[in-house]
Amino acid sequence: MTKKNKSAIQRRLIPTYIFLIIVSFFSVFPLYWMISAATNTSTDVSRGRIIPGSYFMENFKNLTSQQPLWRALGNSFFYAILTTVICLLICSIAGYGFEVYHDKGKDRLFSILLLAMMVPQVATMVPLFKMFSKAKLLNTSIGFILPIISTPFMIMMFRQNARAFPVDIIEAARIDGLSEVRIFFQMFIPTMKSTYAAAAVITFMNAWNAYLWPKVIMTDNKAITMPMLIANLITGYVTDYGMLMCGVLFCSIPTMVVFFVLQKQFAEGITGAVK
Amino acid sequence: MKKKVLTVLLTGAMVASMAAGATVVSAEDNDNTLTVWAWDQNFNIKSMQIAADQYAADHEGFSVDIIETSSDDCQTKLTTAANAGDYSTLPDIVLMQDNSYQKFLKAYPDAFTDLKDMNINWDDFGALKQSYSMVDDTHYGVPFDNGAVIACYRTDILEEAGYTLDDLTDITWSKFEEIGKDIHEKTGKYLLTSEATGGDTLMMMIQSCGANFVNEDGEAYIVGNETAEKCIDLYTELVQNDVVKLVNNWDEYIATITSGEAAGIVNGNWITATLMSTEDQKGLWGITTMPKVDGVDTATNYANNGGSSWYITSNCKNVELAEDFLASTFGSSTDFYDAILPETGAISCYLPAGESEVYNEPNEFFGGQPIFSTIVEYSSHIPEFTKTPYHYEARECVNTAVVNIVNGTAKEDALQEAQDTLAFKMTE
Amino acid sequence: MNSKKKGMTLATKQKAAGWIFLAPASIMIAIMSFYPMIRAFIISLQTGAGANMRFADPIFSNYKRILADKVFQQSIANTFLYLIIQVPIMLILAILLAQLLNNKDLKFKGFFRTCVFLPCATSLVSYSLIFRSMFATDGLINSVLMKLGILSTGYNFLGNATSAKIVIIIALIWRWTGYNMVFYLAGLQNIEYSVYEAAKIDGANGWKTFWKITVPLLKPTIIMTFIMSINGTLQLFDESMNLTKGGPANSTITMSHYVYNTCFVNVPNFGYAAAMSFIIFIMVAVLAFINLKVGDTRD
Repeated sequence: MTKKNKSAIQRRLIPTYIFLIIVSFFSVFPLYWMISAATNTSTDVSRGRIIPGSYFMENFKNLTSQQPLWRALGNSFFYAILTTVICLLICSIAGYGFEVYHDKGKDRLFSILLLAMMVPQVATMVPLFKMFSKAKLLNTSIGFILPIISTPFMIMMFRQNARAFPVDIIEAARIDGLSEVRIFFQMFIPTMKSTYAAAAVITFMNAWNAYLWPKVIMTDNKAITMPMLIANLITGYVTDYGMLMCGVLFCSIPTMVVFFVLQKQFAEGITGAVK
Repeated sequence: MKKKVLTVLLTGAMVASMAAGATVVSAEDNDNTLTVWAWDQNFNIKSMQIAADQYAADHEGFSVDIIETSSDDCQTKLTTAANAGDYSTLPDIVLMQDNSYQKFLKAYPDAFTDLKDMNINWDDFGALKQSYSMVDDTHYGVPFDNGAVIACYRTDILEEAGYTLDDLTDITWSKFEEIGKDIHEKTGKYLLTSEATGGDTLMMMIQSCGANFVNEDGEAYIVGNETAEKCIDLYTELVQNDVVKLVNNWDEYIATITSGEAAGIVNGNWITATLMSTEDQKGLWGITTMPKVDGVDTATNYANNGGSSWYITSNCKNVELAEDFLASTFGSSTDFYDAILPETGAISCYLPAGESEVYNEPNEFFGGQPIFSTIVEYSSHIPEFTKTPYHYEARECVNTAVVNIVNGTAKEDALQEAQDTLAFKMTE
Repeated sequence: MNSKKKGMTLATKQKAAGWIFLAPASIMIAIMSFYPMIRAFIISLQTGAGANMRFADPIFSNYKRILADKVFQQSIANTFLYLIIQVPIMLILAILLAQLLNNKDLKFKGFFRTCVFLPCATSLVSYSLIFRSMFATDGLINSVLMKLGILSTGYNFLGNATSAKIVIIIALIWRWTGYNMVFYLAGLQNIEYSVYEAAKIDGANGWKTFWKITVPLLKPTIIMTFIMSINGTLQLFDESMNLTKGGPANSTITMSHYVYNTCFVNVPNFGYAAAMSFIIFIMVAVLAFINLKVGDTRD
């Protein structure tokens, strides 16, 4: 392609750039506001000051002296990574199973599984609590992750995406004598990188932000997670908005980083891999 | 190669989850340690820590394990556990908001230990404060922080409009409205700020008359309740005449104060901590009594809003120790209250504490007023009223009625709707 | 004979492999969701609290109560309004953005993608704080509108029933568009580039390519996001709770928010809350399965 051609293409993309810049501005503004609020005093935040101040270190010091920030970050990372790894594994196998070997029975089972996400969590919390209490899983990390490692949503995502996985590849692999398990691990997983990346982002985010269930079963300071830490910051008689935003900043950054790292995957996913 | 990575990853995850499962975090069963749920690092958590330190001085080996649990989280945890019929996750001592305790006692009476045998002189606390944690004649909670209502005004704004703090002391709401209108005209400021949904102003108004939106039998009592109607009338007028700035949430509530848009605030005295965080308003504030409702015989200038008490749960293994600890610190020690005041600003409900020197220190932020002793003094005048487990439901219904009236619904219809909704919520 | 038998075992093997693959996830869901759901259904037939839970008389009285509950009915109306207006706007916007960002000639793709995704990674606390302060009477939106001469005095966006609903819808679109875009982007990767190249040679313009190629090929993903959005909106809680507290006068309260209040704010009534939850469940299930039936055909 010639240079001229290239610049013509870029010129045609100008409206797209403008549109994306506007959307980005609206998307990023609250983030900017959060960062700037983390550098201001509580009073300034309350007065609606949107330019960055010089109070960040003070807010940070207050935060770390009052709250176990590092412990909460560590716990949150531990739970979120553990959940993501296990969830991706069992949900992707299931989604693959539902799609590749689909028959009437499995389709029906899938429809039934979908029902599992449709009841508000509040209603099932008491029975679930009873179960976990009997199983002595209160105050454990297993108790934290068990309810969220298998979700109909993730199974559905892998099932829908597996539809694009060419049947020919599976057939060819079978003729080559690969076992069903190996086809999944050696063919499907590498091909579906983009889907795995997207699923990892979403699962990590959900686990990171999980709040209602963890707070019900965790009754120990040592088990504190970032969302619980944030809740502790809002509840006092006086809300220190600067310190709060400083905490919120630490709570938001990891998900953004995970997204930033993984996003290349689901944009440059399978090209080439299929052929 | 990829398979290897995956295997390593998987085994890693398995091992990690096993290890994590093994580290079951549980407080050691130590006879001399009490676990406590509380929710404010600078306030009740610090106070509890000081109490524990003082108690440990005469009781070797005693300690508390304080678990920071926001008051909403505390409600969620307690409700879930209690409804599952499993109290084993509850701490020995739990701090609870006065307004929400009655509903817990109604729903889960066996979650708490009564304090019949406690060695404490209950009359050292105001009668009203005691009644929040009582059912019939039985005590369940040890009162902690004071929720006596105060009115805070920006004296500089009052002055600008030609008023002083005295003009707003011991007045009625109609007088308040008159002054408020004048101030709004002259300065463009509002004399009061109040939350539309979830605000407490109406509750404070009716409780200052020794009344409530329920009758003595605990039934919804809005239609035909003259005191209730009077309060709603007054409050609606304040809103309609730009005396009250009606805001939508707590942030806006605070913002009207920090920005100087509102010249006054009426709330439980714990609001002073928030006011004091706006340092450039130092010396501009003054406190006095809240206005009283006109034309009601029982009306006073005193009410209570917020505040909390300590409760011993039924999961407490060593009730004797817990009772003795609470009784000898929060229940009887002026030394203790003198110690926590400068550290935390926690104003006690323990009446003898108000006489001490610490309580009479002038406060710079409030133009040199000795606000602590003033507040303790106010708290002895607050009238008692009928408690209801349905406090939050009642508040929601009357606040909804006010919004509807302001938006043009006929008063009779709005009140009837509030009455019906509240009555409905009280049935099962 | 022999070979036929061998063929059968292979098919059986594959069939078995299929069931084994989906077993762990399915069993987990059965234990972690279905069992508690059955228990919750039993609770929905009970009244009282804690140790005093007993079966209601008549047995469906919690469900009957819904018919008399004006606030819950209002919350149904509010929730469906959010659903009808917000979900289509959000999904169309998400597909559009995914399509734009999937252009191989576009520069700074990574930057734009991250920007668009940021809202759903922004903590709920900070985002509700900023939306509340932006739409406050003296907030940013009012200042801008006043400077432009559109308004003369500050408008109380969150204090007025209609505008408060609009703010919630804007907030939802803002927060979840990037989230849905992620699925579309991943889905677009499954559409081979050659398909587009072929379309271009055939002389199809961008708009035509979008409707004729992108949308049909993204169909499985679109159905998935639709079901997720229906589920998410009908169980909407955060925005109602944090932006408006359901006010003014219950005009923005959602079903899940009301259910939550019934358990944790008001005098706890888990039986009634469970009954309302099952009504929500039925609504979601019906809508989701219409969706699946209409759209999810393997062609």
